Amino acid sequence: MIGFLQQAITGLMIGSLYALVAAGIVLVYKSTHVVSLAHGQLVAFGALFFWLFFGGLGLPFWISLIPAFFLTALIGLLIERLALRPLIGQSLFAAFLMTFAIFIVLEGVFVLYLKGESRALPAFLPTGNIAIYGISIPINQLISFFVAILLFIALSLIFRYTKFGLGMRATAEDHRLAQSAGVNVRNIFSYIWILSALVATVAGIATANVMDIYYMLPYIGINGLIVAICGGLDSLLGTLIVGLFLGIIENVGAGYLDPLVGGGVKDVAAYVVLLLVLLVRPYGLFGLVRIERI
Amino acid sequence: MRPCGIFDKSYTLDIAIIRTWQHWVILISALILLYLFPLFGSYYLTSFLNLLAISIIAVLGLQIVTGYCGQISFGQAAFMAIGAFTSSILTIKFGISFWIALPLSGIIAGLIGIIGGAPSLRIKGMYLAMATIAIHFVVIWLILHLEITGSFKGLFPSPPTLGGFEFDTDERMYYIIMTTMVIMTYAARNLIRTKIGRAFVAIRDNDLAGEVMGVNLYYYKLLAFFIACFYAGIAGSLWAHWITVVDCEQFTLMHALEYIGMLIIGGMGSIPGVFFGVLFIRILNELVMFTSPVLAKTLPWLGASPAAALGLISFGLAVIIFLIFEPRGLAHRWEIFKASYRLYPFAY
Repeated sequence: MIGFLQQAITGLMIGSLYALVAAGIVLVYKSTHVVSLAHGQLVAFGALFFWLFFGGLGLPFWISLIPAFFLTALIGLLIERLALRPLIGQSLFAAFLMTFAIFIVLEGVFVLYLKGESRALPAFLPTGNIAIYGISIPINQLISFFVAILLFIALSLIFRYTKFGLGMRATAEDHRLAQSAGVNVRNIFSYIWILSALVATVAGIATANVMDIYYMLPYIGINGLIVAICGGLDSLLGTLIVGLFLGIIENVGAGYLDPLVGGGVKDVAAYVVLLLVLLVRPYGLFGLVRIERI
Repeated sequence: MRPCGIFDKSYTLDIAIIRTWQHWVILISALILLYLFPLFGSYYLTSFLNLLAISIIAVLGLQIVTGYCGQISFGQAAFMAIGAFTSSILTIKFGISFWIALPLSGIIAGLIGIIGGAPSLRIKGMYLAMATIAIHFVVIWLILHLEITGSFKGLFPSPPTLGGFEFDTDERMYYIIMTTMVIMTYAARNLIRTKIGRAFVAIRDNDLAGEVMGVNLYYYKLLAFFIACFYAGIAGSLWAHWITVVDCEQFTLMHALEYIGMLIIGGMGSIPGVFFGVLFIRILNELVMFTSPVLAKTLPWLGASPAAALGLISFGLAVIIFLIFEPRGLAHRWEIFKASYRLYPFAY
């Protein structure tokens, strides 16, 4: 039982990372209905920029956060301005393909910068473990777990109670109607990409906390995408729940099934979960079911 | 390419692939040129053409399922892997001749493709794209973890033989690959003008409307996936026996993305578009390969071998530029050129 709980808690910590990554994807989807494949790259670049100032230049933690956030937000803004704005009015599928092209370009830049090496972030959170009933939890992961939860609460509050959130929800419903009601749709698009990039930076720093920055880091975006889709793409709460559960399933599944199949369950569990969820509930577990008309 | 003043006087003429005697002349001389190419082309160009032809076969399949039937698939590289490994296992472990293994690997890839295409019955667009990405990773994971596929080491299939003649060099393999490509291109082009092709286009344009008109969605969607994966399987089998080493590193998600990129640049819903797209991307890749050592010398901060990264950047930028400025791809430009040639010397 202790073994199971230990694996579940470790999974929960990883799951909070997935939820953080997925949060940025959900943000973009909720207001623009574009599903961003490129989000994993924003996460990776957030981590890389933070490393540049914190690990590379040796600036203090709080000061190096500022340029990291700023630069990642700049990338988000550039993506929106240069690549996605020309596609307004075209099919959403074109925008999806555009994010895939952006993924490849940023992947190229990322690989070009790293040159096959990896960068380890120096420890910036207190290290050590807390033991509760024999289950040990690393403190730094616990902190990033709570940061993730707080961020989710903050995002939900923004969406529900601020004027900005209302504008985003209106934009998601219908661009033209929102515009005629006085919402500046173009600005909303820019803001949402900036916000998504900021969330991505948090996710990137939290991820780099537990693993090195190397060429596979952007692919956490695919895990985030899986979480976002299983959660229903437009539900922040669903994303959080699915993210945590996916982390648990991956870890517990790996713990119990690895000896049976010879390892590697962790690599494939998320994809199997996605396929099963899509077969049972095509619009995700918490998503809005859309009725199609001809 | 029809000059001014030639009209289609019957439906048979209208749907004919080859319409005038000039077409026959161009086609036959092009085929002769294609088959004589290894005699005067260099070794490098011949193997480049081999790579082109295999990519063309894979992208033709993708064109059918994505360009014509509108079901996006990011799984083409995985199904190519299935074809490559099936063909290798059949020839190595079971001693079956390459000539039987080639169609068999296509059929097996196609049958697995039907399972892979099953999500398309309930989901579409972006959701389907993610499902196919998931299928890609599941397939590659299975290949890596099954005993029969040689796991991480990969397999080493031998080149095909025919009556004691071994197709062991690139020039010899060229004839097999080119013949297959010509047959597959003809099959794809022909498929599009049949009832099946029209059903695919109906599903792409609006699947609900298509169903109301009497198109059996389930049957045709699964058929599209079967055909696409059949093409991928054939391409994979050819690849395996040409390179004679197969492992999972040759079939990554990036390869699948590359095929989608070729499709976008070439133009969705056009068979010549496949050729344009594959040519464009492969030539772009070769240019980057040639220029990157020079670039690395002049700009030392790029590192010692920036070819892979620069290839990704140039490929992604090309796709972005095409999505913004010419979403219909090079095939659309080709259509414009054909129309203006037809009207020459008049403007309209």
